[in-house]
Amino acid sequence: MSKQNSLRGPALVFANVSLKLGGSHVLDAVNFQVEAGALHCLVGPNGGGKTSLVRALLGQMPHTGSIRIDGEPSHPVGYVPQLADFDRNVPMTVYDVMALLGQRRPAFLGSSRAARAANAEALQRTGVAGMGHKAFGSLSGGQRQRVLLAQAITPLPRLLILDEPTAGIDKPGLQLVENLVQELHASGVTIVWINHDLEQVRRIAQSVTVLNQRVLFHGAAQKLPTSWSDADE
Amino acid sequence: MSDLYSWIRDHLQALAASQVLPQPFEYEFVINALLCALLIGPLLGVLGSMVMIKRMAFFSQSVGNAAMTGVAIGVLVGESYTSPYLSMFGFCLLFALTLKYTQHRTTLPNDTLIGVFLSISLAVGASLLLFVSAKINTHVMESVLFGSILAVDHTDMNVLLGVTLVCALIGLPLYNAMLLASLNPSLAHARGVPVRVVEYLFVVLVTLVTVACLKIIGAVLVEALLLIPAAAARNISRSLPVLVTLAALIATFSCVVGILVPMQFYIPVPTGGAIVIVAALVFVLTTIIRASTARFRGASL
Repeated sequence: MSKQNSLRGPALVFANVSLKLGGSHVLDAVNFQVEAGALHCLVGPNGGGKTSLVRALLGQMPHTGSIRIDGEPSHPVGYVPQLADFDRNVPMTVYDVMALLGQRRPAFLGSSRAARAANAEALQRTGVAGMGHKAFGSLSGGQRQRVLLAQAITPLPRLLILDEPTAGIDKPGLQLVENLVQELHASGVTIVWINHDLEQVRRIAQSVTVLNQRVLFHGAAQKLPTSWSDADE
Repeated sequence: MSDLYSWIRDHLQALAASQVLPQPFEYEFVINALLCALLIGPLLGVLGSMVMIKRMAFFSQSVGNAAMTGVAIGVLVGESYTSPYLSMFGFCLLFALTLKYTQHRTTLPNDTLIGVFLSISLAVGASLLLFVSAKINTHVMESVLFGSILAVDHTDMNVLLGVTLVCALIGLPLYNAMLLASLNPSLAHARGVPVRVVEYLFVVLVTLVTVACLKIIGAVLVEALLLIPAAAARNISRSLPVLVTLAALIATFSCVVGILVPMQFYIPVPTGGAIVIVAALVFVLTTIIRASTARFRGASL
């Protein structure tokens, strides 16, 4: 599928981004760019600042330096948070979660017919069709992750941010998510994916940044070093 | 509004006189209290379910206690002893917003911080109330602490109606944003929700409702009526629409029964206590239903 410029997602520019938590550096002068419409992966060790960088990108973490999203700033951003960040104890069905995230009408009043159709289609795309009336908290980790992916693509965003969306997903699920991400990438969506599967990163990503408080490597995914120490050299 | 209240009252009193309605409906103050109950029931149900989900139960308790200080300040500055709303709204809003502001600027756990503020509000409120108690009737104090339907007048009903309208106008359009902001702030940010703004707005709404309900339920128990109907509904709910609807119904039922039963059977208990006891009985019932019904046992995941 050819990417038209008008449909392309935005480019991202991280310029000298630094972030401190509790007095210690989480990010230290991070500089890199993500091209418009790219499938870009963020990799690195735990505690390396990947999630903090993503939260800074979303405007949630105070930081120094600048993060610029070029083009269509008002367009919705799709975001799949880490599963651990979502409270399972809230009595909500999958449709309630989708309604909460995707409509103005209070979620406790239900969804409009149009919204229900869009939500059902998104759940179908992420392989959890038929689970709309199930309690969100009763789903397995992988199923909940797919629901969170479904909400992120409803409506279709131009920028999609994925924070370890495949954690807890079984093999068929992994393939489904990978196919969906590639499909979205092909339609021009800019995708930033925090990913620990280096083999998958090399296979599907265009570009990659290795982050451990600072940028250890930034470039084409095929040139990704085999270990963080290699990247540091 | 007084004409509307009188019109409703006249009709209900006529029905009570012809024995269609129970005898308590003959009294003006009972009908006033019931009209308030029909307003605060749904209000507390919707807001209470959100307070429970957002884990802010003790936040509303501390605001209720702060209202005692508000009453004392009202008496000191010369407001009406029975309806010191300016002082109550003023002090409680200041208190709640300060608490929220401090939450954002400290690394202390929420429960610790709320515990500190709860203690402060209780200590200051109790001290000031004792200080001004010589100036006012002890029944006024009792009605502030535990609620009294005898004290409900047209001013209270207008305040409650005003607060209900404000909550509907602000709370309904921002309901999803407020809930999402606490479930997952990052996701809320990604969806364009101004997280800090909606958090402060929610605090304002809880404070307004808490103060507006004081005359009926009392400062000590107002938090219970925000929480118990929602907790009771939670026991037998698997979805958000069911949770909110049941919480609203249980809160309204508790208010109506808690007002009518003591009147009907001449039981000398404060309204707030009676309402909360009814809500607590419903909570026990739903807990039993939950424990004995396989369908609901999995709902707590």
